[in-house]
Parts: sequence; structure tokens; C-alpha cells
Amino acid sequence: MKRVLIVDDAAFMRMAIRNILVKHDFEVVAEAENGAVALSKYIEMKPDIVTMDITMPEMTGLEALKAIRAIDPEAKIVMVSAMGQEQMVMEAITNGAKSFIVKPFKEDHVVQTLNRV
Amino acid sequence: MSNQFTNEPLLDMFLFETSQLLEQLEQAIISSEKESDFSDEAINLIFRIMHTIKGSASMMLFDNIARLAHSIEDLFFYIRKEKPSNMDCSSLSDLILEGVDFIKVEVDKIKDNLQADGNANSLIQMIIDHLAQLKQNNQPVSLAITMEDELPLQPKKQQYYIRQVVTQEVEHTNVYKAIIHFEEDCEMENMRAYTVIHNLKDISNEVTYIPANIIDSDESVSIIRRDGFQVVVRTELSTEKMYEFFSQTIFLKDLEFFQLESDYEMNESIVESVKPPFIKESNASIILEAIKETTDHIVHKEHTDRTEKEVIPSNVAQSIISVSVPKLDKLMDLVGEMVIAEAMVIENPDLKGIQLVNFKKAARQLNKITTEIQDMVMSIRMVPLSATFVKMHRVLRDMSKKLEREVTLDIIGEETEVDKNIIEHISDPLMHLVRNSIDHGIESPEERVAAGKSRAGTIILEAKNAGSDVVIIVRDDGKGLNKAKILKKASENDLLYKNEEDMTEKEIFNLILLPGFSTKEAVTEFSGRGVGMDVVRKNIEAVGGTLSVDSIEGRGTVITLKIPLTLAIIDGMNIKVGKSRYTIPTIAIKESFRPKNEDIIQDPDGNEMIMVRGKCYLVKRLHELFKVSTEIKKFSEGIMLMIEQDDQTVCVFADALLGQQQVVVKALPQYIQNFKKMLGLAGCTLLGDGSISLIIDVARLVH
Repeated sequence: MKRVLIVDDAAFMRMAIRNILVKHDFEVVAEAENGAVALSKYIEMKPDIVTMDITMPEMTGLEALKAIRAIDPEAKIVMVSAMGQEQMVMEAITNGAKSFIVKPFKEDHVVQTLNRV
Repeated sequence: MSNQFTNEPLLDMFLFETSQLLEQLEQAIISSEKESDFSDEAINLIFRIMHTIKGSASMMLFDNIARLAHSIEDLFFYIRKEKPSNMDCSSLSDLILEGVDFIKVEVDKIKDNLQADGNANSLIQMIIDHLAQLKQNNQPVSLAITMEDELPLQPKKQQYYIRQVVTQEVEHTNVYKAIIHFEEDCEMENMRAYTVIHNLKDISNEVTYIPANIIDSDESVSIIRRDGFQVVVRTELSTEKMYEFFSQTIFLKDLEFFQLESDYEMNESIVESVKPPFIKESNASIILEAIKETTDHIVHKEHTDRTEKEVIPSNVAQSIISVSVPKLDKLMDLVGEMVIAEAMVIENPDLKGIQLVNFKKAARQLNKITTEIQDMVMSIRMVPLSATFVKMHRVLRDMSKKLEREVTLDIIGEETEVDKNIIEHISDPLMHLVRNSIDHGIESPEERVAAGKSRAGTIILEAKNAGSDVVIIVRDDGKGLNKAKILKKASENDLLYKNEEDMTEKEIFNLILLPGFSTKEAVTEFSGRGVGMDVVRKNIEAVGGTLSVDSIEGRGTVITLKIPLTLAIIDGMNIKVGKSRYTIPTIAIKESFRPKNEDIIQDPDGNEMIMVRGKCYLVKRLHELFKVSTEIKKFSEGIMLMIEQDDQTVCVFADALLGQQQVVVKALPQYIQNFKKMLGLAGCTLLGDGSISLIIDVARLVH
């Protein structure tokens, strides 16, 4: 069972992702509402996969991605982006994000992406 | 149990979060408007909130909300990026607040199970126009960037080539070509292609692909969708490895894979490799800027937050969960039932007169635990008034803007907590009171200066705990109530119930609470609406609260609301009249005593009074009031309860006291309420022996 950390400042999005993951036999080990919390949760929980929102307060998804990759170059991080954030997505891929999900996402898109990374 | 609580929790979450974000947004806008400047922090916040709402709304398929949020997000993206110097804060605030209102209305519709069918097109257009206007006003700065933006970088080239510094020995390498077709609705195909290229970097030094300019989203996305993404790669890896690599592409629908001749000419149009190769310069700098900005922000933020955060363990946020209100209501109901059941067991008639030492011990333990559970459930339901109070800023802003008043709002004690259900009932009345204060109370700046006051009026909203009540005070320093005007108006509307001369100041002020009273000649947009103070009073009384008015002409008005902390469970004194049982909230009872016959006096109208320590109190016989037959009619045989509310005191005569008990307030059944106007009864409750007791509405009794 893959262990996932969900990072999103919107509780709604966290719930939406969690609902999908739980249904498809992923284990959601933690949630974080900003990049800073994500980083500490990552260190604490060592999840297999991280879903990372891009636009967040305190520490953005891109910053958190870099920070997590700095401590664990093997970290598997999937960005959660909105339409129109191509630049950010590219920046994220360049910095080692494994893939990305585009909001509004479909259930099978999330599952497929997380299964593949 | 039923699964009514599991239905669409996601929708609940959407509604909850969106409402919260809108509140936050509103506050940010109003405080920015006050300072006539949108700080970087505020702009970031607004941008982020709109971004979140857009995302959630589009997930829930509320298209109109998503589109509107998107347009505001775009607007603030521009503002954040360009920092236009000459923004019109006021009109921008108006526009965004209008957007907030639109989304609020839609959210309310969704809450009421209606279609969120509002049309935001004109509003979106206004926002787009505003953005265009803003761009035009900031021409000199933005022009350069737009031109740069539109300047195509190597426009017609269809291939791209990456060459690392290391030179390759061509003989040992293979060349493969792959055509990748992505799934139809996977979105951002160009970024998916970019991911492939990025991953290829680790295993190959030479890659060409079509379309080359994959970052230029519109064009490249449509090419990839139509023709697939074509990659030619030179690598040392085997065919199997490369095939495996490509087939692991996420959202792969179709893969065409070929091995080409190893001397295949990849460098038909070789370009020096740049890293990362396909960002347009201008875009890159924007990204960097954005990142720098957020980093600055973080550094700043972290610095200020550090001191508090160090004390708190990192998983504090996780220890809080949100629970749906219906669940809490149900829990409260259940606890209520438990309290009744407990009383039924412990005070069971079958146990009367039996020596039960161990039972009593166990019962005491049970009682202790149920009391604790009850307190805990109660405290869970408690919500601070701050959210309700903060809403008043918006009321104030809109009204003072329209009526051209200068008003400041001071909030005191917003951390005071009340039951969730009660908060919902007092929000509207409170809003009405604040409106009234601005509309009827606070004068125009000129009038105020002429009267020797400061230009800006002040409204103070204060909350504090007082025993089992919460007191909310709305105080303004406006022109106060004019007694003569009130009396005139009241007599015109036939509302005077006694001689003008006999009325105390308080009674005159209370006239404005009567239905059909309104001193303002012209009905204004705000205070009018056909809703008067009588409705406010009715709403407050509906939750067992009281309202009192005080005023000094020329100095201002004070309206005091007294609201019970909770509705559900009260400490009650059970009393008996004939065969009926009644409960009086203990808090209202000052004392109980057995009167002597000679203490009773009668006034000329035949009203009975009782003299207690030199003071006279009106006596109300419950058996007469509720028309119950009883044997006990002599004062010396029954019991007298002195009851006080709002500085008014009466003595109530009943047959006997039954004892004190926590009772669970139940509304009277609808058919009884319909059948007869139940004056003086606040509800009913179940007693330990299974009998029903009627809860006396003390406020009605004393008036």
C-alpha cells in the first residue's frame, strides 16, 4: 500500500484527493496545509508519494518541492496545478517533480498518475 | 445509524471552506480600502483565495463561480506582477466585493439545495474591463513586456536539439523515434511532453522533438493533440529499455516506437543547447521574480511566526478536525435524552423509600460523568462571536459609503462564546441594529461638527459574559432617541397604552420595539425593508434573550441584548400546581418562601401584592394564570417564588416545590402551538418520573 502525503492549503482539495486515494487503496499518512508543514511532515512520515499544490501561503509548492528534494533526492512528488500554471509546472518538473495533476481532476487521472510515479 | 451525515461531505467542505475564504477576503478588502492601499500581503491573499475558490468550484462543477473567481484571480495576478501605481482602490474594492457577493449568493443557493444558476457574465466583463483599463493606465511598463512576450523565439523551427558538452561516440549508440499520443482529456499536454524530455535528459544527450516550442502552450498543445508528440533520441540504452521508458509515460494512450539507423542525422537544425532550453526569456524572469517574491515573503513570515511556533508542536493543525453541525445537534439531542434517562433511573418511583447505599454511590458516579459529558458537548458547540462581529465591518462600509457618514466600528470582547445555534439567530438582528445606528443614530459629519462632536461617529460592539447569559451591547454616539418624536409617532400609530405623562423614560424607549413603529419618515434602502425593531426583538426573544433600549438625546443610544449561552439544557426548579408540573429557570429565582397571610395587600383594582422587607411586589397565582384547579389557594399553604428578570420582580404563587434539576428544553409540539397561543410557556421537558413539566417563560411572566 503506497503511503501518501497530501499538501494543499484548501481543505476541500485535500478532502477531494483523500477520498479518491482511500478508495483506491492508498494510505494517506498525513496532510499539510502549506509547504513548511509539508516539509516537516515529510521528514516525520517519509511518505512514498507527495501530492503538492502549487499556490499556497507561507511556503509555495515549488519551494517545498525544492526543499524536500534537497533532503531526499529520491522523493516522488506529484504537483497539483490549475490550468494556466504551465510555467510553474515546468519549473517543478525541472526541479524534480515526477508528474502533475491538473485541477479540476478526474478520479482515474489521480489514480493513474500516482500509480505510475 | 442512518448515513445522512455521510452524504456529500465534499460538498459540505466546499461550502464551508468557500464561505470562510469569502469572509477572509472581505476583511482583506475592507481593511485595504480603509488604508486606500492594497498591500503585497493583501494582494497575495486575494489572489490565493480566488485561486482556491476557482479550483474547488471547478471540481464541484460550479462553472459560474469558477469563471468569476478566475477573472478576479487574473486581475490580481496582474496587480501582483505589475504593481500598478495608480490603482483606484475604491472602485476595485467595489468590484471585488460585488464578486464576493455573487459567490455568496450562489453558495447560499447551493446550501438551500437550489441550482447555482446565477449569471456572472456582466460582472466578469466588468472585471476584464477593469483589468484592461489598469493595463492601459500602466502602458509604459507593461508595453515592453507584452512586446517581448509576443516576440516569437525562433518561430518556425520544428525541431530542437540538446547537446551536452561530452562528445558522444556515435558507433555505440542507438537512435530511436517515439510518437507519443496522450489521453484525450489529460490536459496540459505540452507539460506532459516536457516531463518526458526532462526525464530523457538522464539517459540521453541528444534529443530532438516536435513540436519544439512546447512551452508555447496553445499552439503546441493542439499539435500534440493532433499529431502526437514526436521524439527522436540517441542513447546507449537498449531497445527494450527505451521502449519501457516511453511506455511508462503517464496518460499514455498510444505509443509508436521505431529504431532508426544509428547514423541518423539528428542535427538538421542544430542549435546550441541552453538550459532550460525552451523558456522564453521574459517568462523566465517573471517566474524568477515570482519565486523571489514568495521567498521574501516566507522569510519575512517565518521570522515573525518563529517565536510562537516554537512552543507549539508541529502537528497542532492535525489535532483539529471539523465536524458537521447536524452531527453535533444530534449529539446534543442524545446527551439531552441521556440526562432525562439518568433522572428516570435515579429518581425512579420504584426505588422510593428503599435503602440503596451502593446504588446511590454508583448513581453519583454516573451523574458526575453525564455532567462532564454535557459540559464537554456544550463547549464543543460554543463558537466565538468574532465571526459575526467581523461581518459588521462590511455592513458599516457599505452603509457609510452610501449614506456619506463617517463611522468607525470598535469591537470589544469578540472572543466571547455562544452556542452555535444561537449565533445563527443573532446575526441578522445584530446587523439590523448596526444599520439602525448608522442610519438613524449617527449624524452626517457636518451635523456632528456643528454639535461639537468629532466628525466621525463611533459604534461600539461589545460582548461579555454575565452568568449564564451573554450580553451584547451596540452603542453609538449619534443623536440619540427623541422622546417627543417617539411619543408623537406612537400616538399617531395608536401604540400608546397609557398616558404620556405616566410613562417612564424606559417605557417610552420601549415603544420603538412595538410592531408598526418606525420614526424614519422615508424608508431608506437599509433600515427600511419593512423590518422594524419589533422583528429584532422577536428574533432575540425566540432564542430566549431580551432586548433593552437606553438613550440620551444628543449623546447616543445603547441597545443591550441579553442572550442565554445555550438553549438546550437549563437548571430548572420544578414546582407543582394542582396536578400540573412547571419548571422555572433557577437563574431567575431570587428566593422562595412561605408567605404569611398578613403580608398580602390588595390594591384598589384588586391586584394582590406582597410586602417583602418593606418592598411591594405583584403576586401572580400560577393556578389562575394557567387555569389549573388546585386545592391550595391559601398563601399560607403554598409557596411563593420571587422571580426577577430585567430589573423587574414579581412573586409567583405555586403549590409546592418539587426540587431542582437540570432539564432538557424541548419545544412545544407544533400542534399545541397551532392550537392555542401558549403565552408564558417557553417549552416543556421530561421529569425523572416520566411526567411532563412545562417550562415557564420568565420574561413574559414578569412583563
